[in-house]
Amino acid sequence: MNFKKILLAVDASDNAMRAVEYVGNMAGNCPGFEVQLLCIERLPHRDLYPDEEEWKGSCEKARAEMKSFLDMARDQLVEMNVPGTAITQQYMSSCISPFQDNVVLCSRGTSVAQEILDALKAGGFGTVVIGRRGVSKAEEFLFGSVSNKIIHSAKNCTVWVVS
Amino acid sequence: MNTDLTDLVRYYLPKFPTQRIGRLVTDTTDFTSIDYGDVIGLGGKHYMVLRDEVERRFGLEDFKFWVKRCKCLETGEAAILKLVFNEEFTQKLGPSTIRSFRSAAKEARILDLVKDDPRFMHGFSLHDEAGNLVRVLEVIRGKRMDTVIDTLPGNHLEYFEDNMRDMLGLFISGCEAIGFLHAHGERHGDIRRDHLWVEGGTGVMRWIDFDYAYESHANPFALDLFGLGNSLLFVVGKQIYTPFTIQDMDGADAVVPNDYSLIFKNRMVNLRRLFPYIPDALNTVLMHFAASSEVYYESVNEFLEDLRPCLELLPKT
Repeated sequence: MNFKKILLAVDASDNAMRAVEYVGNMAGNCPGFEVQLLCIERLPHRDLYPDEEEWKGSCEKARAEMKSFLDMARDQLVEMNVPGTAITQQYMSSCISPFQDNVVLCSRGTSVAQEILDALKAGGFGTVVIGRRGVSKAEEFLFGSVSNKIIHSAKNCTVWVVS
Repeated sequence: MNTDLTDLVRYYLPKFPTQRIGRLVTDTTDFTSIDYGDVIGLGGKHYMVLRDEVERRFGLEDFKFWVKRCKCLETGEAAILKLVFNEEFTQKLGPSTIRSFRSAAKEARILDLVKDDPRFMHGFSLHDEAGNLVRVLEVIRGKRMDTVIDTLPGNHLEYFEDNMRDMLGLFISGCEAIGFLHAHGERHGDIRRDHLWVEGGTGVMRWIDFDYAYESHANPFALDLFGLGNSLLFVVGKQIYTPFTIQDMDGADAVVPNDYSLIFKNRMVNLRRLFPYIPDALNTVLMHFAASSEVYYESVNEFLEDLRPCLELLPKT
């Protein structure tokens, strides 16, 4: 296991940016680290909108926000002295989107945690990093907690959870 | 008055008072204006509007102005017409809120999915002349599951000995139906014990009302599971217990805050405190929904894997 090979899972939240900064602090100026930024697209559900147009508009906005965050995260890492050549970005589109995405791998949206774990295994990463919202038990029950699921299910790797 | 419409109503419903015959409605957008005596024209058929449907909750009547109880003139059959009401709202569950939406498209999709499955209400959907997706639903003859249980005679011990096994068996079949939805990527969205009906004659459990959609990514089926947990609580308890209702009961002195629901802090979940004859395994399933729980069900399959064996632990009649 190469713990210096890091999978940094982000969405467009403040918690995710804290995780980015943490990785920057740990890996900046240290040789040998590789960081892959992974953003799994989470689009609003079609059923929550009265028509296609409104849904599509909302999805476009969400996608732009997430892609922009990925770029910002990369810039942040570079600013914290992680070499640009050591950083890669992966944006996993949603399988259920209004766009005509021509992708091999897409997110089914049923378990973000599982999709992060799949990426972890497929990429041979030694460390997975994720931000944590800090939810109550009731919220965890109703809305789930990606970080908790990863803590419970990740194997053969280091897990950094940044609160 | 529209003469053709009057003739049509007179032909099919000769006893309907002529002076009460209203308009022929082919655009249902303004559903609040559609009233008793109006006739909705849809898909070549005509539906006489008899009244708005009413939901009774907590002793109050809540009129659903977008849901019309009708009679199809051509077939003579009762039907419920659900008109498009693009309502966005926030569901409050204990301390948490969930953004929700009333989706005609979702319900229409599920109606199509379950059209041959007796565990759900049946119906079909059609667009009216303005493009509104109207759902035409059958009327289920039967009783709400909670009403059936509530009206069973006797105290809890008698219910436990005589009826709980049958009721739990029926409830499990209802849970399996929800598992079927989830396996097809759908969610019921509004699982409550009054949305599960026991059909008269067949005794089959049938789910109604699946138009609620909600936003949830990390745990997409949690809200449905929460509803199943609440419903199970009623099936096992024969009623819902609160600090007020248990105050004079045996075992109440030992109740602690962690015995209550994770979400509804006044809803007693640890029923073995009150009824020690409830099998431990069954109580353990309930306790997944308690404030003390550290582990939650994430799928109906997980829930049923624990619940099914409990049937054998209940008295046979």
